[in-house]
Amino acid sequence: MFLNSFASLQLSVFALRRSDMTPELRKNPPAPLAPVSFDIQKPFETKLDNGLRVVIVENERLPLVSYRLAFESGDINDPDGMTGLTSAMTAMLTEGTENYSSLQLAEKIERLGSSVGASASDDFTIVSASALSLYSSEILHLLAEVVLRPTFPESELDLYRRNTIENLKFQRSQPGFLAGEQSARLVYGEHPYSKVSPTAADIEKIDRETLAKFHSGSFVPNNAMFIVVGDVNRDEFIAELNELFGDWQPGVVNKKAFPEPPKRNSRSLTIVDRPGSAQSNIVITNLGVKRVDPDYFPLIVMNQVLGAGASSRIFMNLREEKGYTYGAYTRLESKRLAGDFEATAEVRSSVTGDSLKEFFYELDRIRSEKVGEDELQDAKNFLTGVFPIRAETQEGLTNLIVNQQLYGLPDDYLQTYRDNINAVTVDEVQRVAVKHIRPDEVAIVIVGDAEEVLPQAREYADSVEIFDTEGVEQDEAKYVVGDSGETADVAGKWKLVIDFQGQQLPVSLKLEQDGECVTGVLETMLGNGKIADGKVSGSKLAATALAEMQGQPIEFVITGKVDGDSMSGTLTAPIVPDPLPFTGTRT
Amino acid sequence: MSETFKLPPLEIEEYGLANGLRVVLNPDNSIPVVSIAVYYNVGSRNERDDRTGFAHLFEHMMFQGSENVPKAGHFQHIMKAGGTMNGTTSSERTNYYETLPANQLPLALWLESDRMRSLAVTQENLDNQREAVKEEKRLRYDNQPYGQIFDLINEMIYKNFANSHSTIGSMDHLDAATVEDVQEFFRIYYAPNNAVLVLSGAFETSTAKELVETYFGDIESQPLPPELDVTEPAEVAANYKEWEDKLAPFPAFLIGWKIPPRRSPEFYALYLAGKVLYDGDSSRLYQKLVKGEESVIQLFGFTDERRGPSSIFIGAIPKPEKDLSRIRETIMKEIHDLAAHGPTSEEMEKIENQLINDSVRMRQSSMARAQQIAEFALYDGDPELINSELDALLSVTADHIRHAVGKFLNTENRALLDVVPAGKG
Repeated sequence: MFLNSFASLQLSVFALRRSDMTPELRKNPPAPLAPVSFDIQKPFETKLDNGLRVVIVENERLPLVSYRLAFESGDINDPDGMTGLTSAMTAMLTEGTENYSSLQLAEKIERLGSSVGASASDDFTIVSASALSLYSSEILHLLAEVVLRPTFPESELDLYRRNTIENLKFQRSQPGFLAGEQSARLVYGEHPYSKVSPTAADIEKIDRETLAKFHSGSFVPNNAMFIVVGDVNRDEFIAELNELFGDWQPGVVNKKAFPEPPKRNSRSLTIVDRPGSAQSNIVITNLGVKRVDPDYFPLIVMNQVLGAGASSRIFMNLREEKGYTYGAYTRLESKRLAGDFEATAEVRSSVTGDSLKEFFYELDRIRSEKVGEDELQDAKNFLTGVFPIRAETQEGLTNLIVNQQLYGLPDDYLQTYRDNINAVTVDEVQRVAVKHIRPDEVAIVIVGDAEEVLPQAREYADSVEIFDTEGVEQDEAKYVVGDSGETADVAGKWKLVIDFQGQQLPVSLKLEQDGECVTGVLETMLGNGKIADGKVSGSKLAATALAEMQGQPIEFVITGKVDGDSMSGTLTAPIVPDPLPFTGTRT
Repeated sequence: MSETFKLPPLEIEEYGLANGLRVVLNPDNSIPVVSIAVYYNVGSRNERDDRTGFAHLFEHMMFQGSENVPKAGHFQHIMKAGGTMNGTTSSERTNYYETLPANQLPLALWLESDRMRSLAVTQENLDNQREAVKEEKRLRYDNQPYGQIFDLINEMIYKNFANSHSTIGSMDHLDAATVEDVQEFFRIYYAPNNAVLVLSGAFETSTAKELVETYFGDIESQPLPPELDVTEPAEVAANYKEWEDKLAPFPAFLIGWKIPPRRSPEFYALYLAGKVLYDGDSSRLYQKLVKGEESVIQLFGFTDERRGPSSIFIGAIPKPEKDLSRIRETIMKEIHDLAAHGPTSEEMEKIENQLINDSVRMRQSSMARAQQIAEFALYDGDPELINSELDALLSVTADHIRHAVGKFLNTENRALLDVVPAGKG
């Protein structure tokens, strides 16, 4: 049916053309066309009498407008003993104002087909709104309403407190959260960047009066900037802004001095114990740079080579070559006042030690050897190539401009971004790697089964501390698995039964043993896994069966206790949330 | 408002290659990026009843390398060129897309054409991908709380196997697939005359046409795939099912209705009815359930748009100790009210503005445009519809909505899936 509708078209231009394709032409990727220039226009900047900075990018491409009212105050500016106050305040802005209830606000905003919201990060609080430019005036009025006249109604606040406390409980079941909590504490110490979450007690304390007082103290025009991108007329907009925000009184901005993050001079190991965990969440981290540091460009190029994506060294090593993990990366977190460098992966527990070895190998290598010119060029190609895609939508463009403004980056930052990337040399990459990656001073954080992780990771650090998932410190001695008598004989064929969601599933384990080393095969309905590095210590068996599916490693982790011809223990697989108990006998 | 608001039309040029490949060009030089979308006219609805999961299996196979592109090469090439990419499978079609800096257009066409003509369909790749798909099924469906509810509701709504079975397919069928089955599937469905290629973004039309001809022109067409019957009776296949979910921490439910195909007048009216009911904080159900009764943790609603009979779902995860049947009563009460009185004029104004807002936003992104255009080209044979779709939606009146809700939603002809946590059924 489709062919018919194009029959007439086929008889036109292309019927007589023949493709000039040859096997040789197809063999290699084609050369690109000539590059097309891309320029981001510079904003117009001014200030209202009350100190509110105004940044305008007029862009008529589409009839849309985006507003961001950004305050240079964020979670780190929570008053002492009131962690979570800034976040609560921003969440509550749209839940009721002097003139409108939560429902009325929702109706007004959505009736215009628009959106208004607010969120807080460590350094900044941003109230955003976007709409068809037809409604730019109406949406500006609503923005003024939620910023200047919120009332924090008791019933809405009560719902917020209850919902937030529920979420906090859920958070502590996430290994990623637990790893982040420890890393932040170790890298930032007494600096407020170390606080990643309020506690239930903090949330319960929050009341209307405190919120209202905090709001009027921190939401002042001289600590804020109003950024507009889109289909606006500059003069009309400024006039309207003066009308709605002109009477907004400036206030005192107390810039607290924060304690400096700690200087480190040794490697530490911190384990958060999650018994039975099939994977270890590894974070290796040290203090990095703040956003405006002059080393920023060489650092992001270095990071791209080292561990920013699927072609990077860390990824190719730990995942593609060794098969330890689904994903291993490095990351630069550069905030306003300080930042950090992190290398992370979730690896199967039995290769925790091996993974640390590879991480340190790569961290040492990027410092001791210059990267290859090809590697450098690929990294630059990605960073410069993806830049226009980031700016394609109004939302994307607005984000780029907001960042440039909030971090106080140079006026021509966006215009010269790609040139700066391209100017980075292999020497620069090495220099910043040596300076900002300090393997002898890192904090190693591992969320996993402490009994399994401790012996593997201990040798990589000068000191160790262990916590449970609630953050209570534990005694290291509890996790040391001593020599518990003679090595059990585990060789042979075992018939095991796994309790899988109420079903009894048979699997078999065929093992060969040489002293404390065990090899063999695990045969299950999900596939067969080769065991290459199992260990017996006393009566305990720890082994990982590795199956390969489409180049991706699937590991089954076996932890068992052997008693003569009986075995019992747990089997973990990445696809199953909890370890599965098994029992069985040798045949 | 709609009279005062006019969106300039997107520039669309469509033509066909001799081998039947339909090509649509949407030049737009605002930003120097280009998006390429290839849509193959094959989805789970085309699958044989003993070979479910094939369309999706194929999506995986397509990244396993072709004659001139090594395994995982597609992704690596795109990344090194500074681009982004992905692919998806649905009941209706399988699509592949990437966004790149404008000067990398030849690379995308080389990659897409190489896999269209010479995908490496080998026993090894099949075995690898089969296991990956089975793994994905476990990870995303079998072992996620509520992971299976959409597949289950589809089986309750649709009687025709083509419509009712899941896209992920069955483990047994995947295991039974031979390399010959897969090669045959590739031959029939992954042919140029069974596909649409869309380019949207910054390019010279004449250059683009030359490149498309160079890379795709020599790929041979194939006989058209077999005809497909997706007709349905008016009644849903099953009205009630209780499902025990061992991973669900709380009970939940999902209600599903069968509705007419996409782009029918009733479909448009029901799509808008859905917005009134569950879309956004000011929607009726959000205000009644999340706010008012404070009885749900999560409320969701969705219109499943298909070329054949389609569907609407509304579901909720209640807070602990809340009564599910009371929540369902509230939902049906709102539907009843909408069927009796239709939406208010404020709600109509909201819908109108949301539609225009969505339409304008979509235009910003070359990828969003490419995908929308590809759908109209593939499903309707008319990519120009992207320029008239908004008007079609804006012409729906409150009365149309009232009438459609009365006929299709305010009825006993619906499916209710009750999800109970393990041990509590």
